[in-house]
Amino acid sequence: MQTEKGKNDTPNFSRAKILIVDDDPELRMALKLRLRANHYETVSAGDGYSAIALAQKERPNLIILDLGLPAGNGFNVLKRLQESDALSHIPVIVLTARDPQSNELRSLDSGATAFFQKPADNNELLQVIRASLRSASAWGTTLPC
Amino acid sequence: MHDFPKQVLLIEDNPGDADLIRLRLIESRTQLDINCVNRLSEGLASIESMPPSVVLLDLNLPDSQGSETFRKVLEKAPGVPVVILSGKEDEALAMKAIHQGVQDYLIKADLTSRTLERSLRYAVERQAVLRSLEMSRKQQLEFKDQFLSHVSHELRTPLTCIHQYASLLFDGLSGPVSPEQRDHLQTILKSVNQLHAMIRDLLEATRAESGKLRIEPRCLALVELASQAVAMIRPMAIKKRINLQLEAESHIPLVYADPDRVLEVFINLLDNAVKFTPPEGSVTIKLSQQKTDPEFTYVTVTDTGRGVSPEALPLIFERLYQDPDSVDGNRSGLGLGLYIARELINLHGGRIWVASQPGHATTFTFNLPVYSLSKLLSAVIVHQQRLRESIVLVRVDLKPLASPVRGNWKEVCHECLNLLRRCVYVDKDLVLPAIATNGPEDTFYIVASTDMERVNIMITRILEQLRVLTHLKSIGTVRAMARQVSLSSEMQDVSVEQQVERVAENITEMVLTDLRTMNGFNKKETNANAN
Repeated sequence: MQTEKGKNDTPNFSRAKILIVDDDPELRMALKLRLRANHYETVSAGDGYSAIALAQKERPNLIILDLGLPAGNGFNVLKRLQESDALSHIPVIVLTARDPQSNELRSLDSGATAFFQKPADNNELLQVIRASLRSASAWGTTLPC
Repeated sequence: MHDFPKQVLLIEDNPGDADLIRLRLIESRTQLDINCVNRLSEGLASIESMPPSVVLLDLNLPDSQGSETFRKVLEKAPGVPVVILSGKEDEALAMKAIHQGVQDYLIKADLTSRTLERSLRYAVERQAVLRSLEMSRKQQLEFKDQFLSHVSHELRTPLTCIHQYASLLFDGLSGPVSPEQRDHLQTILKSVNQLHAMIRDLLEATRAESGKLRIEPRCLALVELASQAVAMIRPMAIKKRINLQLEAESHIPLVYADPDRVLEVFINLLDNAVKFTPPEGSVTIKLSQQKTDPEFTYVTVTDTGRGVSPEALPLIFERLYQDPDSVDGNRSGLGLGLYIARELINLHGGRIWVASQPGHATTFTFNLPVYSLSKLLSAVIVHQQRLRESIVLVRVDLKPLASPVRGNWKEVCHECLNLLRRCVYVDKDLVLPAIATNGPEDTFYIVASTDMERVNIMITRILEQLRVLTHLKSIGTVRAMARQVSLSSEMQDVSVEQQVERVAENITEMVLTDLRTMNGFNKKETNANAN
């Protein structure tokens, strides 16, 4: 698989594990391919309930979260993550087709680190992932090297 | 069938007329609650304490005359029917009143109990119809809003899928791609972006219509923004061999505007100009000040295109307007761009208009308000016609932890600004609008006209609250410091306006010095990190 530009800037974050939460299987797959091409490990969930279960089991370094989800929408997932001592430090990037004007601040208020509207620019998204992983590690999380 | 209005408020200063009207009313109906006052101020107070079913209004009162009288009543009681009772015929005044929302204009001399009774009854009924129409209009707008927001969400999901897979192919992540295939994929991605922009415009236009469009003005250098827009449009201009240039007069003052929104307007106008100008033509964007109107900065975008026909000129800013002659094979979009641009400029307090010589050129002009610190300051630092004795400049620094993400950091700063506004003393302190800087960190300034002790309490509160904000994970350090603003003693002899002007100059100087040293400091810090 090819390596994308910019990847070499921060080699030590590339093995980080990312949990993708989206109810659309094709979008999950596309995102997985994109992230793996950038040498991230991925796990994915299609609804709110399994998102929390997987977060507990896999302890990802970052979560990409859709808002419109079956079995507990994205805001519920954010709330559950915030309530858990073990999971509240994980940076969450919201990636949704919903409107930023009514969802962006609410997402950030609920604990998200960044908000993107679909379709998002891939380079920008990767940049945010890198930045979030860096600040998460500065806040005391350990990352696999 | 319908009840006659029960509570009548009669605002009439002539006791004879008041008695006569009261008599006419009682003749027509027995059970009436007539409240008669003889001054406008009493009438307005009565409306406020207990809104009547109908207001009967004489225009010439001891404390108000003519159209001013009904304007004030309508303003105070927007939902209450108002009927004017006048001593004289004045068709022009009557029409003006009706246009502003008055229900009827009656001549006192012509009054019989029957005509008065009927007029009041119909006035109440018409007002009720109006109210229900307004309600259903609002409901429809709300419905349209929800519908569009739902549709755009549903459209975005498959669009995202196309975008994701096309870009996976384009980036060669699914195997090698031939130059021809790359070319085709580029076309797909370009069309996806167009579609995306259309969905966004559709939502924006609906928001504009229902008054939900928002702007966040800051203090802003237009020249920088204009060069940014020019840089974005330049590739398109080069492709068409169009000479695209930016002309800015020296000393263009800072304006008070939302950078993202103004950039949107710039890009919209430049994009249109390039689109409608034939190859080898030119597009010029110009920033200027006009001596006659120093409170605004003017922007013109001039092209050498085929111009706009005189019939189209008044329609060009309307929703869904499209140039009927646009048959050059370009996709024209939804025809919402100029409509949104006009709404955005209006929200800033500016104006946008167009002039054209068909066949030769089109010039779009808009203006934006100049940022004036003294205008903002005078409200808080002038007290009882005197400058307050103590003025303190508080600086709050916010630095992100890691290299910030533009969108996210912007939201963080927005939240901080709101938080600062909650921490200051109303009417005594002012959070200055953010100054557009290029740096990743943001600095906020507060002008406080309270003593040092209270300023210290305020700072403690600000720092506490900033730390409490749990979602601001990306904030690294927060710092706040306060400095006294010097008020020179010679100021006693000059007017308050001039004093405010000088204080504003002092503060501007302090802020600029701050920003200069801060930039130097940051450069050093970056170097240290790089080593």
